[in-house]
Amino acid sequence: MSDHFFNPRNVGDANEPRFVGRSASLTCGAHVRFSIQVDEGHAISQAKFRAAGCSDLVASASLLTERVTGLTTADAATIGPEHLEGVDPRCAALARDALLDAIRDFSNAARDDWAGDEALICTCFFVSERTIEREIQSRGLTTVAEVTKACNAGAGCGSCHQLIQEILALL
Amino acid sequence: MIYLDNNATTRVAPEVLDAMQPYLGEFFGNPSSAHAPGREMKRAIEGAREQVASLLGAADTSEIVFTSCGSESDNWAIRGVLAAQPAKKHIITTLVEHEAVRNLCRLLENEGYEVTWLGVDQNGELDLDSLRAALRPDTALVSIMLANNETGVLFPINEIGAIVHENSRAAFHVDGVQAVGKIPINLANVDLFAMSGHKLHAPQGIGALYIRKGVSLSPLIIGGAQEQGRRAGTSAVPNIVGLGAACRLAREDDDHARVERLRNGLEDEILRNVPNARLNGTADRSKRLPNTSNISFEYVDGQNILMHLDQAGICVSTGSACHSTTHESSPTLRAMNVPYTAAQGSIRFSLGRYNTEADIEITLSILPEIVAKLAAMSPYDKELAKLK
Repeated sequence: MSDHFFNPRNVGDANEPRFVGRSASLTCGAHVRFSIQVDEGHAISQAKFRAAGCSDLVASASLLTERVTGLTTADAATIGPEHLEGVDPRCAALARDALLDAIRDFSNAARDDWAGDEALICTCFFVSERTIEREIQSRGLTTVAEVTKACNAGAGCGSCHQLIQEILALL
Repeated sequence: MIYLDNNATTRVAPEVLDAMQPYLGEFFGNPSSAHAPGREMKRAIEGAREQVASLLGAADTSEIVFTSCGSESDNWAIRGVLAAQPAKKHIITTLVEHEAVRNLCRLLENEGYEVTWLGVDQNGELDLDSLRAALRPDTALVSIMLANNETGVLFPINEIGAIVHENSRAAFHVDGVQAVGKIPINLANVDLFAMSGHKLHAPQGIGALYIRKGVSLSPLIIGGAQEQGRRAGTSAVPNIVGLGAACRLAREDDDHARVERLRNGLEDEILRNVPNARLNGTADRSKRLPNTSNISFEYVDGQNILMHLDQAGICVSTGSACHSTTHESSPTLRAMNVPYTAAQGSIRFSLGRYNTEADIEITLSILPEIVAKLAAMSPYDKELAKLK
């Protein structure tokens, strides 16, 4: 943790095209900016941060950039403050919020560009109706939670839970 | 170690330690006892009282009462004045007082007192007209500090005392904790004056309250008849002797001019060489303590600077919200309307008698690099680019 503070990794801005997220705390006055680059497979190929905040915040953001590089945005979004050891959980949560905001920025842009010919159910993590149907049928899934676990659909904002429920009811 | 946090506490001076040593071993006894060792303790206490009275310029040694710390002195002065005149329910103080005064006055608001909170301008200075206007027949107490602990800005207590006494019958209490030992004290218009030993090279755990003759003050600690019956509790003889020695040292071996030169050099160089540095508190150095510089490094975090300096063996403090136990940025800087992003990056450098030319040179050789590194990491990159 102390090494990540004194020698933070991945400081700066990700290369263009990048997706940017911010978070700030009115309690402690800290401010973080996270920027990510995402490849065609929705994996984070580069993660960078800037921060004005305490040593724990800097260390959290630095740790997080290392942790999420190579993960899909859906997997990166599941990382919580509890997964960053040795730092104040409040600071870790603030860094994580900036990461989520960057993932959201990517999702929003990708959704606008969605060119698939199938219906998109989970707009947070781009899971199509066909994928969800395939997962349900091949694995015999019966609940939304199982679907989310299987293919990330519904892991974001939750607005598609109703749609997933309906697909489950139809099959 | 380079210690630039003398407003937080100071190293016990070797002269003070020498004076205290016998009273931590060879000499012991209760100063209230009638036997020879007790009388020796009593004599030591009265010797120290003379030293304190002399440094403060008190007319009579009996106006000095020993307490356990500056906060006790402040609490006693305020509560004691209010208890002695229970019909009066109005207090005047400032938004930039030390917590010992500010938090007590907040508490008193819940206990039925009305408090007028005087603000300060962006230089940290008081508007004396608003003080004059706030005084009322039912004002029991005016409590205003001499030197601000964070910025070092001085309030003109002589002038303030004159205004208080010409326009009201209120008692005038001054929190002098941060000033004693650093500047000459003038008690001409002051009724009560709090001081603390550890800010001037005495140990922690000893303070004093000056109570002008004729000012009526109810006791805070009830018990035995120590301190002329005004403050109960067995006297902390070694600490009292230490405070006396520290006061003598401050009076006789005064090197404020040297400390001030070091402070000026540090301040000038930082403001000149660091693009996002700005001074907090008036630029008029005659209105500030000679040892204090409060500088904001805009758009970077003060706690980060503190940690990097600490790693280099340099001790400072910060007004950044995160670092404080209350998670609030410095109330003093807020009252001065210092922008939040600057208050977050504030660092207080407070020098003392043991600082050397080399301390300042080393600090100046390290600090700009640390600030530049943090600025390069800041999410306020657009704002910082404008400053260059």
